[in-house]
Parts: sequence; structure tokens; C-alpha cells
Amino acid sequence: MSTKIELSLSRPNRIYRPSEPLEGKIVVISASSISHYGIRIVLNGSVTLQVRGGSAGVIESLYGVLKPIIILNRIIEIEPSGRIVSGTTEIPFSITLWNPKEDNSERFYETFHGTDISIQYLATVDIMRGYLHKSLSATVEFIVESDKANLLNQPISPDGIFYVTQDTQRHPILPELKSGGFRITGRISTQCPMLEPLGGELTVEASALPISSIDIHLLRVESVLLGEKIITETSLIQTTQIADGDVCRNMTLPIYVVLPRLSTCPTVLAGPFSIEFKVAIVITFQSELSRRHPKSDPLTPRLWMAMETLPLELVRTR
Amino acid sequence: MKEWTSFKRLLMQRFPVSKMISVSSMSNTILRSGKAHEKSSSSTHPEELDDPQKSSEESTKVITRQEFVSRLHELKDEINRAWHSEDRVKSLKLSIKVARLLMDTSVLNFYPTLFVLVSDVLDMLGDMVWERIRQKAEFAEDGAKFCSLRENFGVSDVPTDAKETCYNWFCKVGTIRELLPRIYLELAIFPCWRFLIEQPSESLQRLVMMTRGLADPLASAYCRLYIAHRAQKFPSHDTGYLITCVNDIKLILTRISSTKETAFGGFADSKRPLVSLMEPSVEFIMKSILNDASPRRVGKVLVELGIWRSQEELFGGLPCISIVLHHLLKELPTDIVCFHAVDILHLIKCSNDNSYDQYLNYRLVGLRLCEQISQITTVDAIVNEVIHVVSEYGLDEYLKVVDAYLDIVLQNQMDGHLKTILEWISKLASDKVLAEDELASLQSILVKLLSHFKNVEHVFSLNHFLQILDMMHGSSHSIVNMHILDMATRDGYLHDPTTIQLLFEISQALHSDTDLVNMKNDDNQQQARLISRFVRMVDHGVVYERHLAFLVECRGAFGSIIELKEILVHSSNCLATKALKDGKKHTGFVKSCIAFSEVTIPSIPGHIKQLNLFLETAEVALLGGLVSHSDDLIDSAINCLQSYDLVEGSRTVDSDGLLSSIRKLCSLLIMVPGNTEVGILHIPKNILSIIHSRSWSPRLSARLFCAIISLSATLSQERLPYHADHPEIMGNDLLFFGDSSYVRELLSLTESVLQNLVDIIEHEPSRAARGSVSLEACNCIVSSFKINEHILPICSKLIETAKSCLDAKDKYLTSTISFLDKNMHAATVPSSITI
Repeated sequence: MSTKIELSLSRPNRIYRPSEPLEGKIVVISASSISHYGIRIVLNGSVTLQVRGGSAGVIESLYGVLKPIIILNRIIEIEPSGRIVSGTTEIPFSITLWNPKEDNSERFYETFHGTDISIQYLATVDIMRGYLHKSLSATVEFIVESDKANLLNQPISPDGIFYVTQDTQRHPILPELKSGGFRITGRISTQCPMLEPLGGELTVEASALPISSIDIHLLRVESVLLGEKIITETSLIQTTQIADGDVCRNMTLPIYVVLPRLSTCPTVLAGPFSIEFKVAIVITFQSELSRRHPKSDPLTPRLWMAMETLPLELVRTR
Repeated sequence: MKEWTSFKRLLMQRFPVSKMISVSSMSNTILRSGKAHEKSSSSTHPEELDDPQKSSEESTKVITRQEFVSRLHELKDEINRAWHSEDRVKSLKLSIKVARLLMDTSVLNFYPTLFVLVSDVLDMLGDMVWERIRQKAEFAEDGAKFCSLRENFGVSDVPTDAKETCYNWFCKVGTIRELLPRIYLELAIFPCWRFLIEQPSESLQRLVMMTRGLADPLASAYCRLYIAHRAQKFPSHDTGYLITCVNDIKLILTRISSTKETAFGGFADSKRPLVSLMEPSVEFIMKSILNDASPRRVGKVLVELGIWRSQEELFGGLPCISIVLHHLLKELPTDIVCFHAVDILHLIKCSNDNSYDQYLNYRLVGLRLCEQISQITTVDAIVNEVIHVVSEYGLDEYLKVVDAYLDIVLQNQMDGHLKTILEWISKLASDKVLAEDELASLQSILVKLLSHFKNVEHVFSLNHFLQILDMMHGSSHSIVNMHILDMATRDGYLHDPTTIQLLFEISQALHSDTDLVNMKNDDNQQQARLISRFVRMVDHGVVYERHLAFLVECRGAFGSIIELKEILVHSSNCLATKALKDGKKHTGFVKSCIAFSEVTIPSIPGHIKQLNLFLETAEVALLGGLVSHSDDLIDSAINCLQSYDLVEGSRTVDSDGLLSSIRKLCSLLIMVPGNTEVGILHIPKNILSIIHSRSWSPRLSARLFCAIISLSATLSQERLPYHADHPEIMGNDLLFFGDSSYVRELLSLTESVLQNLVDIIEHEPSRAARGSVSLEACNCIVSSFKINEHILPICSKLIETAKSCLDAKDKYLTSTISFLDKNMHAATVPSSITI
């Protein structure tokens, strides 16, 4: 005799804002009628911090998972004890996520799944059936996006201007690049709304060596406070090529980078942790050397590469 | 869409590919796909997709073109299969792989074909995504239809859910790492913007700008072509993005022409092949820009392309890349070309880069102007400029440009220029064996001249015309000659001896250029017909001897044209007749004509033809009082008749032709004085013996017998109905007046023929034919004989036969019966023959 229980949210994309009620229904499919001591929904939201690699040393790594930060932990009674008849039963519910009356000091961070930091919200339904029976339960993740009221109202800050020349490089470059020179200029957003592409433009004004490729790397910087120390992990989350080959000089190329929805969230600067982003403009020049080297980490500076990294703040607007 | 299909076909045809293709970076996709079905989709590692280095191998592999194409078709099928088994991610991944193939331009001539194959795959993916989102918009998850989108739905009609799915697709495609596949994939699903926004012109403009990042000239040109193609899904008057495309292509072409030959790795040999590979893109985009453009918009486009400085100032003397200019000129509305012709010529003059031959642009303007010559306002300036420009050209280019402007020169009666042109051509072409291209242009030029002038003498009198004609050879020469002959013989007879001589030489040239072995070939029929018509149209008036000499000359020159020889005989006979009618003494000349005919006839194949020609000549001889000639000719005719069946017996007999020839012979015999030496009736008897000796159909024999009966009946009259029109020839009615043996001979002949006639009808197998032949015979008998007790039974018998074969109400039958009745009542009136 099997009984199935399911938690079905009202929105297919499961995205809710803190001020909005979490709506849905509990679906129970059972061959026989069930008596129970009550039906409740548990809402849980937490920040999980983890340290592995990055700037963490051996000792820090031993700590492993840090104590999670609880954002939300509520139990809501949906029905008192009673019976569920046989067949399919649907029990609708509507729960307010953020209760201003409650002293809720923690912010509702947006859902995020990174390397070291994970912010997750779960809803669990429990049908309690006393000690004789195992309680029936089902869990579903819902995604939290910032509230409209909390949205940034200030104007988007202006684009960052960049110049990439042989003199701005902090790593050694090929002698012919150093002597021949190059100049690539442009602008790129330093603050970008989550749902919009990262925009800007770039112009190759001069280059002694022919260009092989120009790429925009999107970097994520996760920092965790561990005791007195901040452990930082930088990961490359997306590469977007904007020039393939030795493009015409003085022709404006657009920078148009679609943000990967799953590996980004608005920039967070909390006490115990932070999630930040950067963009790197990487110019690869055609050279014999590069051909001989196997493909390596795109972020490692090489003799035949020039780069410029700018901070990027991701924000939730609209 | 149909337009695109034919464009793709032409594109593949235009750049033929060698059998083997060397593949480098694309090899993995292509070579791996063969085994791809064995692999489950999960084994396609996503990192492979993001790593171009991994799939590029140093060693190049060689694969046949066919293999390559079928691999791509397999990939297409696989994408399709994956999609329909709900594995859309795999479909997308494979499509990205396919798009990535276009990154390799080292395949050169194969690139257009590759583009067509890849764009087909991407179009298919685009259609599938479109359908899926549409489904999402119209159907709930349980399959129930909850709304239906109109053909021209708006963004507000699309439910949020469907929009979300659509947006996800653009996100997925937008995060593709490499530039080229990212652009292509967005273009593939580009039509889906309709679910999200009303007019995606900003996205189009962005894609055009993104394409600038593709440094390879070939890859970027075809990418722009794909933009133009996909954008057609959004009909819009905004062509700004296409203008940017053209302007960017212009920059690239400028860069190509200013760099050293070796600068483009794959295109080391020359820049020309590269430019011509890029040309289809320029062509398609230019067509899309100017398709159905209003004059206002054309002006705007010209300004935006940098051709016009502004709507007011127009042409600013800035050069334009000549291949771009070429396709612009091709698409500009005719009236704009006509109105601004001088400025355009100036623009061509300053646009002299090596992307396209300058002279071809001059030629193109000429051709465009000819579409509406009446609209050109500045004819003199145009022609002066062109004549000036071409004066520095070699023959081939000269001819090609001049050819395009010739109609303008001719229609505006610019005789001075025409003179210059012909003079220049003859100067450039002298002492030179003309090449195929030059001949073709020359042909076009001369044909234009010929169709412009009304009479051929005028053309002949143009300076250098004949000289130029002489320089030609081969099929172009023949075509021009044919035009000349056609024109010369179009209206009326030719009298001028010089013209006739020229035309004779032209005919000779045409004749010798024509393949004599295949004279029966349909292609050469036209030539033979034209030469024959020319010979027929020649008229030397009263200078008969010259005309006959001309005929003799023609017989020698055009011996292989059978059709012509017949005409020669007719002409010579006609000439003799004309001389006779002249009244003067021309016996000697007439004899020459007759001799000419007599000699010519045997070389014409076909006995019936010969027979008729002999008869015609005999008639002429009779007209000239030349009885013995006429007798000989009639004998020759009889000989033809005799040989007819022997030679051609195996084939079906041309009954109608034979019948009419013999009838003609019989009617001629009325005029021919009987020859007592060989027997007065030896000719009819000869005919009879031929009939007897052959196994012709009873129907034909019966009709021939009727002809003999009519002949005898006529000859037995006291006064013949007609005589030879010559004072010295006496008819048989005078020669044998009152000669009872003559009458007897006629009687006995008639009697036997009559019997033969009645007998032979019985042998006719077909009932209907038997009936009608009986009636025919009966009619003949009734009109030839007096009805008496001998004749009546014969007639009755024939009528009975007819009745047994035909319907009683048959009109021929009833009218014959009434004809017989009428003659029976009139039997008292004396009739021709009494038996």
C-alpha cells in the first residue's frame, strides 16, 4: 500500500520574492484513508560556507564546513489532526515568507550555488502520523530573488573605461609586443542588472602583432571569513569571445555578454562572507610560442597575452 | 523563401568543388559523426564543445566531397532525432558543432557549399525552436489548447510561460563561448524574438556589429549573408543593419586590396578568388536593400552607403569599392540610373580597385541605360565619356563595353560615333585571330546594327562593316550572316547587282561554315532555308542571261542544298516563261533554261519531285514551241514514274502525290501533239502498263483509271478545251481531224480501261473506300460517256456496289444517283463518246 506525497509550487520557475506569499498545494495520493496528527510546512533558508582550496591553507581546510548561517526557519501548521480520504487530495497553502512583525535580522539573500558558498531555500511538508507510522514528507527547493522594495533605485553607475597597452601589463610579455606596442581601448559596464547582458564596446586601435582572439572572462570571487582570515576563491564562470582573428583596426566591436543564470547572483557583501564578480578582457596575440604551448588555464598570464580586469557589480533591478 | 532556395542552388553551382576536400579543424565533428549513433547522448562531454583546440588537429585529413556532404546530412538527421526524442540539449549541442564548421575557411571553394549545408541545419533548428515555443504558447502541459496565436500575433498575445522558454533559448545560445557559432545560433532562432519584442531591430544591429569580430573576410561575408537571410523573417523597411553590413564589407575589401598578396593565409595565390567567393554575399545583401525601394528610400540608401554626399549634393566624387558598386548598379531603379548616368560614369572612373573589372561596370551601366533609352537626358555626355574611356581598352573589353551602349548610339542617330566605333573595331581587330569572347561580342554588336537599320544596303554601305564581317569566323559569323540574309530577303526582290554579289558571297561563307555532313540536321535547316530564300528573291529584271548565269553559279556553289535545287529549276522555268512572254525572240535562251532544268532535275532525290519538275519544264518547253524537248521531258517524267515504285516500293506509296502528278501529266497530254512514230497513245498506254505492273492499292489504281478515261474522253472531242499557247503547235483536234483510226484507237483504249476500272473496284478491301471509289468512278463515267445500254449497266452496278457499302442516306450516294438520273434523261443530247 503506497502513499505518495508531493509539494507543488504555484510557479513553474519556483521564483518568489520575500514579500510575496509562497503558494502551492500539497498533493496526497493514497489508496486508503490516512489519519494524521497534523500537516505542517517547514521553511528553511541558510547560507552554507565551505572552505576548500583557494587561498585557504592546509589548516583552514581541516575545518571543512563552517557553521551555516540560518536565514529562515519557520514551521507553519497547515491543518490540525484529522483524516485524509483515499484517492487524490489537494491541500492548498499560502505562506508569507517575510514577516515584518517578527524580529528578522537576517537579510533574504538571493539563492546562489557557488564553489564555497551556497544559499538555498527549502520547503518541506510533513504529515505526522504518530509513533507507529513513519511521517510522510516531501521537500522542494524554491528560489528567492530580491524584493522589489529592496531593489536598487540609484542610477546605474557609468561604464568603466579601459586601455590595454604594452605598458599596463603586470606580467612579462613578448619582446616584440613590448617594442611594437598595441592599444586596445573601450568601455564596459561595471554595474550590471541581473537580467540584462553585460554591455560595452572595444576598439583595436593598433597592434604590432596580429591578434588571435579577444575574450571576455566573467570571474566570481567568493570570500569567507574564517576566524581572522578571509579565504577567497576566484573562479572563471564564463568566457565569451568577441573577436576571432586579426580584426580590422579602429572598428568598434560590441561587448555583449549574456550572464549565466545559474552561476550568478547579485553581489553580496555580508559580514561573514561575500560574493563578488569581475570581468577580464584578455587579448591573445598570434605567436609561434602560443602554438607550442598546450591549452592551459585561461587566467594564467602568458607572454602572448594582454589583459585588463575590472570589478563588476551585479544588481537586481526592475 | 523560394528566392533563397534558388539562391542556395546557384551558390553551390557557382563554385564547383574538387572531389577531395582537406579538412583540418572540422575533421573531428565530421569524422566522429559517423560513429555518433552508437554513442548515447550522455557521453557527449560538454567540455568538448567548449574547447576548440581539442577538436583541431595538426594533421589535415582528406575526405571526399560526397562523404562530407553525407556526414552533414547524418548530423542533421541526428539533430532532428534528438529533438523529437525530447533531447533538445543534444540537438543544440550538435547544432553548435555544425555551426562551428564554418570557422574553417581553408576549404575555399567548398565554403559556399558548406555554408548552404550548415545554414540548412540551422534553419531547421530555428524552425523547431519556433514550433516548440508556439506550442508552449498555445497548449497547456496536459495538451489542451487554450489559445491560438494569429498569423501576425503581437507580443502581448504570448503567455509568460512561453516567453520564459523563449528567453531561456536566447540565454543558452548567448553563453556559447566562440563568436561565430554564437552569432549563427542566435540567427537560427532569431525569428523567435517575435515572442518577446515587436521589432528586434536593435538585436539585428548588434549582430551586425558582432560580426565585425570575425576577422576572416570569407567567414564574415557569409555570416552577413546569413544575417540578411534570417532577417527576412521580419519584413521591415529599416535596412540600416544591411547598410552597416555593406559598409563593413567595403572596409574589409579595402583592407584586402591594400595588403600584400600573401597577407591572407589561405588566399595566397591571389585576392581575386577570395573576392569572388565573397561576391554572393554582396549581391544578396544589395538585393535585399533595394528590393522594391521607393525613390526616397533609394536616395537615403545612397547617402548611407556614402555614394551620395547628401540628398541635395548627390555624387561627391568619392570612390566606391567596385564590386559593391557593381551590385548597387545592378539593383538601382532604372530611372535613377538614367537620370544620374553621367555622375555614375564618373563614380566608376574613380572606383578603380582590383575587386572587380572596371570595364564590366561601364558595361553594366550601358545595359541598364538600354532598359529605358527614351528616359536618358544626357545622351551626348554619356556616349562621349564612354567612347573616351574605351579608347584605351584592348579589343575584348572595347567590344564588351561598346556592345552595351550601341543601342543608345543607334537610337539617337549618333552616326559620327557609330563611324568611330566601327573604325576602332576594325583597327583593333585587324591581323588578329579573334577569340571566342570577342566573336560573341562582335556578333551581338553586328546583330544590333542589323536590327536597327531597315535595309541591308544601308548596312553594307557603313564604313568598315564588311571588313569587320570578314574578320569573323565560326558560328558567330554564321549567325550574323543568317541575320543579314534574313534581313535582305525580308521585303521584296533583290535587284542591285552589287548587293546580290555580296549576299552571294555571304551565302557562300555561310554554306562553307555549315556542317555539310549534317545538312539534314535541324540546326542547319535554317541556313539552307535562308540561302534558298535569297536565291528565290534575286531578280535581275530583263537581264535574263545574267540571272541564268547566277542560277548556274548557285548550283555550283550550293550543290548540297536540295531544297535550293528545286528552287533553281523553278527559277529557271520562271525565267524562260518571262522571256517568252516578253515577245522577243528568245528561243536560244529558253533552250538554255530548259537544258539547265533538265540537267538539274536528276540530282534532286525523290521521283515524284522529279516527275513534277519534268512536267513543269515540259510545259515550259511546249509554251516555247519546242515539241521535241517537251516529248523528251515527258519521257523522262514517265521514266521517273517507272523507277518510282522500284526504288521506293518498300515504303508506303504516296498515293495522293502520285495521283495528282499523273492527273497533271494527263492534263498536259491534252496539249501535246500526238506522235505518230511511236503511236499517238503511247504515253497513256505506258501509264496503263505501269499501273498494271504495280501492286498499288485498288483505290489508287481505280482513280488513275478514271484519269485515263477522262483523258480519252477529252481527246475524243471535236474541239479540245485548251491548247498550247504557241502559234506553231497544233492540237490533236486539228492534227487528227476526222481520222477514224485515231477515234478507234481511243475507243479501244477506253473500253479496256473501263473494264479494268470495274474489276479493280471489286478488289478494294475496305467497304467505305469501295463505296466512295464506286461513286467516283460512276461520276467519271457519267460525265465522260453518253448513257446507253452499254454504259447504264456499268453505272447501275457501280451504284449497287456503293449502296451495299454505304449508308442509304449518304450524301455522295444520293447526289450521284440524281446526277445519273439527270444524264439518263438528257441521253438524247449528243455526248462525247458513244459505245
